[in-house]
Amino acid sequence: MFKLICKISWASLKRRKTRSLMVILMISLSLWGLLFMEGIYDGMTEQMITNAIRSDCGDLTIYAKDYRLERKITQLIPDHRALKRRLDRDPRVRSTNTRILQDGLVATAHYSRNCLIIGISPKSEKKHGQLDNYLIAGHFDFGRRNNGAIIGAKLARKLKIGVGKKIILSAQDTQNEVSAISLKVRGLLRTNNMLFDEMAVLIDQNKAAQMLSTGKGISQISILLHDEQALEPLQKELQARQPRLAIFRWDEIYPALLQGRVMMKGFNMVTNLIVFCVAGLGIFGVMLVSIMERLREFGILLAVGTSFRQICWMVIGESLVLGSIGFMSGAVLGGTTLFYFHRQGLDLSLFSEGLETFGVDSITYALIRPEYFLYSLLAVILATLISVILPLRMLKKANPVEAIHTL
Amino acid sequence: MTTPFLSIDHITKIFHPSQEIEVIGLQDIILCFDEGEFVVISGPSGSGKTTLLNIIGGLDHATSGTVTLVDQVITGLPESQLSALRRDRIGFVFQAYNLVPVLTGRENIEYIMKLQGKSQQECDVRTEAISDKLGIRDYLEKLPNQMSGGQQQRVAVARAVAAKPQLILADEPTANLDSASAENLMGMMQQLNEDEGVTILFSSHDPLVINKARHSVILRDGRVFQDQ
Repeated sequence: MFKLICKISWASLKRRKTRSLMVILMISLSLWGLLFMEGIYDGMTEQMITNAIRSDCGDLTIYAKDYRLERKITQLIPDHRALKRRLDRDPRVRSTNTRILQDGLVATAHYSRNCLIIGISPKSEKKHGQLDNYLIAGHFDFGRRNNGAIIGAKLARKLKIGVGKKIILSAQDTQNEVSAISLKVRGLLRTNNMLFDEMAVLIDQNKAAQMLSTGKGISQISILLHDEQALEPLQKELQARQPRLAIFRWDEIYPALLQGRVMMKGFNMVTNLIVFCVAGLGIFGVMLVSIMERLREFGILLAVGTSFRQICWMVIGESLVLGSIGFMSGAVLGGTTLFYFHRQGLDLSLFSEGLETFGVDSITYALIRPEYFLYSLLAVILATLISVILPLRMLKKANPVEAIHTL
Repeated sequence: MTTPFLSIDHITKIFHPSQEIEVIGLQDIILCFDEGEFVVISGPSGSGKTTLLNIIGGLDHATSGTVTLVDQVITGLPESQLSALRRDRIGFVFQAYNLVPVLTGRENIEYIMKLQGKSQQECDVRTEAISDKLGIRDYLEKLPNQMSGGQQQRVAVARAVAAKPQLILADEPTANLDSASAENLMGMMQQLNEDEGVTILFSSHDPLVINKARHSVILRDGRVFQDQ
């Protein structure tokens, strides 16, 4: 019986080939657009988050208590080596990294700007956040005598300097004395983390300790995790164990990025809704016309003993076939496109100026998440089922048996 | 006194009863038919033949009165039970053949049997037997639009008979056929009536059909004019 019902449904779709193809095309194209937008926008947001995590805060950041409020160089993490060793042994932790941070002033012969002096170990940064990948000019080191500095690309532009130029770095040390050193620019970094690119002056960690008289203390421990799920439990655990330190998640340090992620989820929901409406309206139109055209056929089927429920399954089956073919072709099309842009990236360098303002990379790598396909499948199925309710009600009201005319 | 096979008791059908102009389709029809009868209901156009057959077949509802098939009162049954009744106990032959256009002759014949839940093997055996009897083997695999009117009507008869109903309702089955095909069809249905013992009710004003009847009912203006 099932085979016969399928045959009748399939034949009906084949009879209205152009109309069926139009609906399939409509669903496929809107799904393709949806998947592409979801993947690209999520890719943009996640890249922004990754940039912030790699260049600055890690998944978790440890500061001395109240450092974030007062930002004083004297607020250092005591006994950081033991803490770092313990963290490195934790299976949830991928890597840790220490930095010395102090607000300062960077000056050239002609210009000066506020800056953030970051004392780092290039070797550790390469391993930790692969910061060297963001290098756009010069070298990711401080030279043989550690007299070099790596600075943010935007800061370099504002200071109108490039690799090889001299800068004077001055800041207050732990003794409240102003300390200054002269350095040569060794490299330029563009992370698209706006704050970092506009403010960062990276210098050797030992040099920073010497300049700022921090001794063995450091300002920040950045922690990268294997799994984002471990973020909150580890934060709570560390905070309970280290009440004299302040432990922040990345989204507490960059709440705007979290908002961006939430906004993208909302945006994706809206686009899902649009696909749902497009698919629903398309199928509704085709099924309505199809039912009205086939009143006589349904009348025959009802007259010979087919129940209305079986007719309903026949109609639902037809719309599900339309929806599934539309979904499958849209998913294949969208999936292939996403896979391509996941590997190759979408080059938006034409708009790089504007995008940089928002901290977006000029090449965006699309994300591919199973939930894109799952949610759009649910949207298409739901649209398919809802869109046949009205045509079926009309079929019931129209009394198709009358349409046979004779008996 | 034995219970009649089909009893039509004071059936009245009024069209548009709630509106100003009421149309009386059938008025106080009382009829009884025995099992295995070959009945023709005749009368001029508009006399209510089709309406009566529609009510007997559960395709239309009477305004008042009851129709009883063997021991089951048909009038007033819910739609789901009427579907089951049509599927299991009543076969239909329509004037316009009304085969499902996308199914082959064989599939049209098997459709009701499949609805009844019969296995493919049972369907095959029954289809072969009925096809041989009605001489339609050659066009079993053809679609309705590849058959002549006479061929389509034979397949429609096969569809009606294949599910072994107790009653076949045929509404002007020869109306669209030439006289040779009509003669052929009537002979075939007479044969089925004798071989299968199935009760057949025709509506027709074709003398060819009327002459073959063993029980004739004439309707006029929605009333029984003659029952003999």
